[in-house]
Amino acid sequence: MSEPLTAEHVLEFPGGYTRTTGPVIGRFLTELRAGRIVGVRTAEGRVLVPPLEYDPATGDPVTDEYVEVGPAGTVTASAWVTRPRPEHPLDRPFAWALVRLDGADTAFLHALDAGTPDAVRTGLRVRIRWRAEREGHLTDIECFEPEAGA
Amino acid sequence: MSAEPVRFMRQHIALDYVTRVSPLAARFGEHLDRRQILGRRCPSCSLVYVPPRTFCPMCTVAMGEGDEVQVADRGTVTTFTILTPIQYHGQKEREDYALASILLDGADGTVGQQRLVEVDLADVRTGLRVEAVWAPEGERGGAAAGAMGFGFGGAIVGWKPTGEPDTPREQFADHVL
Repeated sequence: MSEPLTAEHVLEFPGGYTRTTGPVIGRFLTELRAGRIVGVRTAEGRVLVPPLEYDPATGDPVTDEYVEVGPAGTVTASAWVTRPRPEHPLDRPFAWALVRLDGADTAFLHALDAGTPDAVRTGLRVRIRWRAEREGHLTDIECFEPEAGA
Repeated sequence: MSAEPVRFMRQHIALDYVTRVSPLAARFGEHLDRRQILGRRCPSCSLVYVPPRTFCPMCTVAMGEGDEVQVADRGTVTTFTILTPIQYHGQKEREDYALASILLDGADGTVGQQRLVEVDLADVRTGLRVEAVWAPEGERGGAAAGAMGFGFGGAIVGWKPTGEPDTPREQFADHVL
C-alpha cells in the first residue's frame, strides 16, 4: 500500500506581532540585552522573575526595586522534548525546565540543554548560556545548561 | 549595542500541521488537474454534491464512484462580497476585489469564496453568468487541489463573465443566503 497523500498547512500571522512590553517587562528585556537577569521586589519582599507589574499573590503593585539574580539556579520541574519542533530554541532533544535562579523566589521557564533525559532532575544546578548577539528578547538566553560538575 | 530601553518585542505565533487527504478528496483533485469538476449524485434524493461526498447527509445514503457526475465549469453568481483589503502587515491584496458563491450548472449546492476576475466590480451582480479560469497545466496542484475539502485549491484562479444573459432570479433564489 502506498503512503497516504498528505497536505501541509501553516496558520500564522504574517511577520508575527510586534507588541509593546510595558515598563516592567521592558526593563527586564533591556537588562537581558546587557547580559543580566533582573527580578522585581514585591511589597512583601519576594523577588519575582521574570518581573511583573503586580504581585500575583496579593494583586498589589510591585515596588520599583529591581534585583539582579542568577545566572545560576536550580531546576524545580522539567519536561523532556524528544523531537524538537522547528521553532523550538534548540535543534536537538532538550528539556523545558522551570529554574529558580539564585536570589529569586519564583521559577523561570526556558530550555535546558542537558543531552539526555537522565541528566535532568529536580534540584539540578544549571546556569544561563547567553547568546553572543543580544537584542532585548527572551531568546537572548540561548538556554540553560547543567553547571560543570552538576 | 543600543542604549535605548527595550519597549517592543516580536511575537511569532504559528501553527504548522499535516493532514491526510481522503481518497475522495484526492480523486476530486486529480479531476481538477484535468479541468474536470467532479460531483456525486445521491441515489436517493438526486442532489448533486460538489465537491463529492461519500454519503448524502440529507438521506444518510452512501454515494460511490457509480454515483459520480461531472458538472460544468460554469455557473451563476448567487451571492457576492466586494472586499477592500486593509493594508495590515503581510497583506498581499492591493485593490478591491470580489468573492462570490457560485451555483455550477449541474450542481445542487453553491461553492463559496470564489474569486471573480476580468470583471468591473460595478458589474458584479447576482445572476451573473461566469466560467472558470483554470490555472495552467502543471500548476493546478494535482491531487492536492482537493485537499482542503472545499473549493478548488489552486486549480481554478478565478471566474470570469461568460457574456450570457443573466440567470433568472427564481432559478437560484433557493441558493441565496
